[in-house]
Amino acid sequence: MKRVRKWLFPIATLSVAGMLVAGCGSNTSSTNNSQNTSSSSQQPKDGGTLTVSTFSDIVTVNPLFIEDDSSGDASQFIYANIYDVDRNGNVVAQPWSLADGAPQISNNGLTYTIKLKPNAKWSDGQPVTAEDVVWTIQTAMNPDTGSVLMSNFDHVKDIKALDDHTVQIDLKSVYAPFLVNLNIPALPSHILKNVPVKQLQKNAYGTDPSQTVTDGPWKWTKWVQKQYLQFDKDPNYWGPAPHIQTIVYKIYADQNTEVQALLKGDVDLDEAVPTTQLAAVQARKNITIINQPGPQFEYLGFNFQASNFPGNFDPFTSEKTRQAIAYALDRDSMVKDILKGVGNPINSPFLLPPVGWTGADDKATHYDYDVNKAKQLLQEDGWTPGPDGILQKDGHKFSFTLLYNTGNSRREQVAAVIQQELQAVGIQATPKGMDFSSLVANNLNPGKFQAVLMGQVLTPDPDVTQLFSSKDFPPNGENMFWYKDSKVDDLLEKAVSTLDKTQRAQYYQQVAEELSQNLPVVFLYQYGLPMAYSSRVHWADADKPEASLQYGYFYHIQNWWLD
Amino acid sequence: MTEYLIRRILQSVLVLFLVSVISFALMHAAPGGPLMVLLPKSGTQAAILQQEKNMGLLDPLPIQYLHWLGQLLHGNLGYTYKNHVPVGQILWPTVGNSLILMGVSWILSLLIAIPWGIYNSTRAYGLSDNISAAIGYLGFAMPAFWFGILLQEMFSLNLNWFPLSDMHSMNKQGDIGDLIWHLVLPVTVLVLGFLASYLKYSRASMLEVLHMDFVRTARAKGASEKRVIYRHALRNALIPIITVLGLDLPILVSGAVITENVFNWPGMGRLFVEMAFAREYAVLMAISLVSTVFVVIGNLVADILYAVVDPRVQLGKKGGAAA
Repeated sequence: MKRVRKWLFPIATLSVAGMLVAGCGSNTSSTNNSQNTSSSSQQPKDGGTLTVSTFSDIVTVNPLFIEDDSSGDASQFIYANIYDVDRNGNVVAQPWSLADGAPQISNNGLTYTIKLKPNAKWSDGQPVTAEDVVWTIQTAMNPDTGSVLMSNFDHVKDIKALDDHTVQIDLKSVYAPFLVNLNIPALPSHILKNVPVKQLQKNAYGTDPSQTVTDGPWKWTKWVQKQYLQFDKDPNYWGPAPHIQTIVYKIYADQNTEVQALLKGDVDLDEAVPTTQLAAVQARKNITIINQPGPQFEYLGFNFQASNFPGNFDPFTSEKTRQAIAYALDRDSMVKDILKGVGNPINSPFLLPPVGWTGADDKATHYDYDVNKAKQLLQEDGWTPGPDGILQKDGHKFSFTLLYNTGNSRREQVAAVIQQELQAVGIQATPKGMDFSSLVANNLNPGKFQAVLMGQVLTPDPDVTQLFSSKDFPPNGENMFWYKDSKVDDLLEKAVSTLDKTQRAQYYQQVAEELSQNLPVVFLYQYGLPMAYSSRVHWADADKPEASLQYGYFYHIQNWWLD
Repeated sequence: MTEYLIRRILQSVLVLFLVSVISFALMHAAPGGPLMVLLPKSGTQAAILQQEKNMGLLDPLPIQYLHWLGQLLHGNLGYTYKNHVPVGQILWPTVGNSLILMGVSWILSLLIAIPWGIYNSTRAYGLSDNISAAIGYLGFAMPAFWFGILLQEMFSLNLNWFPLSDMHSMNKQGDIGDLIWHLVLPVTVLVLGFLASYLKYSRASMLEVLHMDFVRTARAKGASEKRVIYRHALRNALIPIITVLGLDLPILVSGAVITENVFNWPGMGRLFVEMAFAREYAVLMAISLVSTVFVVIGNLVADILYAVVDPRVQLGKKGGAAA
């Protein structure tokens, strides 16, 4: 193949309708076929520029106000976290974390004493102190700040610095997920403490690189808006020095443009390759694909508030009906055909290993695709076919609107499949695509919809109170389904009130059993887009990217190196 | 003439004001808001409400509008809601970038289309005319994204002659040669699109004029063919072309969102789409303002050019073509 004259390829490309099928470009002349996982012969090397692609610009890198993925990505390069999360979902103090070892937790589980590394420094040379951590958490907790981190600290009663490098946090009650909430950066209080909290979001800290003092391996040196951000090794960095000299975070118009740039070699790391482009990327020898689903799952959610349906008739109230819907959906085919294999059908809202440690999904009821079973359950539940073939009960048709957000081709396709498969058992689902912000503002936040196809990110801590507890109804909570099950409420409460991990795992196994029987939502699959790396990028096995952690595409990036 | 210009400019100010009121009302009528575009995590509702307060989004709309207008009169386009970055800092570079891409494409298209169209009108249905007709069909029929991807596939990914996308190579920011190198492919796409219509306009409007009586008269009095075409026919044929060019002027800054997307050109077309999804009202207002200004300028320039090419047109006088 390599011998064929280059000029033949444009013709070949034209003839196959110009899709991204050109298997061999000029890049294939490189003989490098290494699969990133460093062979033992290869030693880490310092220097080089890593180009990471994205399709939207950042908003701010100030962690108090980070709500979007791009800003989150950028903050990964420039901040040290108080604690980090490892591949097995454990909260740990890494050599690059601010904390020096695990926290001391008092016997009653209420007081956390955290030692900070004494040598940690800000990029302006000032030391990172307990005062910085205290200021950050207090500011996040202050309602006037409007920080999205506020809810991380709902359970905090008091926080104070015991000395320059020791922080003590008192909780109101035992709250197991608390530790994961310390997987956040600290902010430089010596820069920000005089800014009124209401002005913090407007402050140039977070949007002006020269004023954004940070404490991570790289520092932010340049922002050309809508084009790129540049991060360079921070000479003042106190932790184990990173190998890569410069990171360019480059903004592309969309995911397809990103892939083109990856194929061309302009980009070294693409966090998410659309599945439609997967074949083109896989054909390149100098690109490594990591093909595992990420930490998010998709579901078909039902609304349990009758006022959302015509005649106040909610067709989803019966468990049997919901189970019938689960049987009617062919999730394996969705994963195979629409997700192109990058996904796992799941039966509960819990991460699978390695990051998930509860073993909960194993206990959940699995619904195999079975149209007859679905029909039988619907019949047992009192649904009878009407004259038009659509099921009826008490004079009400089994007909509902299924909302999803447009511009997401996966959801568009899955919604259409759901429509077809439910049609086959006599249920009329009408998919309706909506602009995402309208959908969120008008339907999801207030809990006003009939059924919705949505996704949810799972954190390393398995707590799902906000999704399924009746304490979290709209407008303040995220249980937009208006789902209420006192058994689930009780188990979720117990599971956060003990620090014993084995005990917690057992509670979550029971939650999984209950939710998968009861099906407030039909769990579809854990999904994610494949991550792609150019073969210039190397890592040791322990530092390889971890798809099911948030920002896992940069897992241990300070230990990576480039050719 | 001066009086006419003053009147037109005053009218334009009124137009700008009305456009700003209407766009402000329309974009705020769309559901969602700059801080509501993400699915909130539990308990962040309160945070978002507070952010809206801190960022001034909870003020009544008329107050927000007056605030915006007040700032504008001080030459300040405002700040983005989400991160308080000056709008000008985001907007002006993209206006410049779109202007570079579109301006080069536009001028190049005119330089090709007008002489070629004239030539074709004198030899209608000849080989050259047929080629230009074929280009016209191609330009109208082929979607820009499609042609763009084909060019990328061929000349960048396979032949490696031209860069794939962007305005500059990472290590050559601001280098003119590098910029020209990056311009080749996107300009080719845009020129094809422009050529399709401009070739047709210039040919058709020349053909029409060439059959008129005054051309026959010119020939009859013994003027050379060259003089007939360039002196007599062309000036008259230019009027419809000027109209089209005047209407097209605003796209020089508003950009070509599709071509900009395919070639990752950081222009205003892309900015507009992105900001619309993000509900960044201040940036959207600024974009609509800049676009309106260019529409107004485009019309004004066209009117003035009418008078230049056709002495019968007297601006501001009764019976003139200024209406």
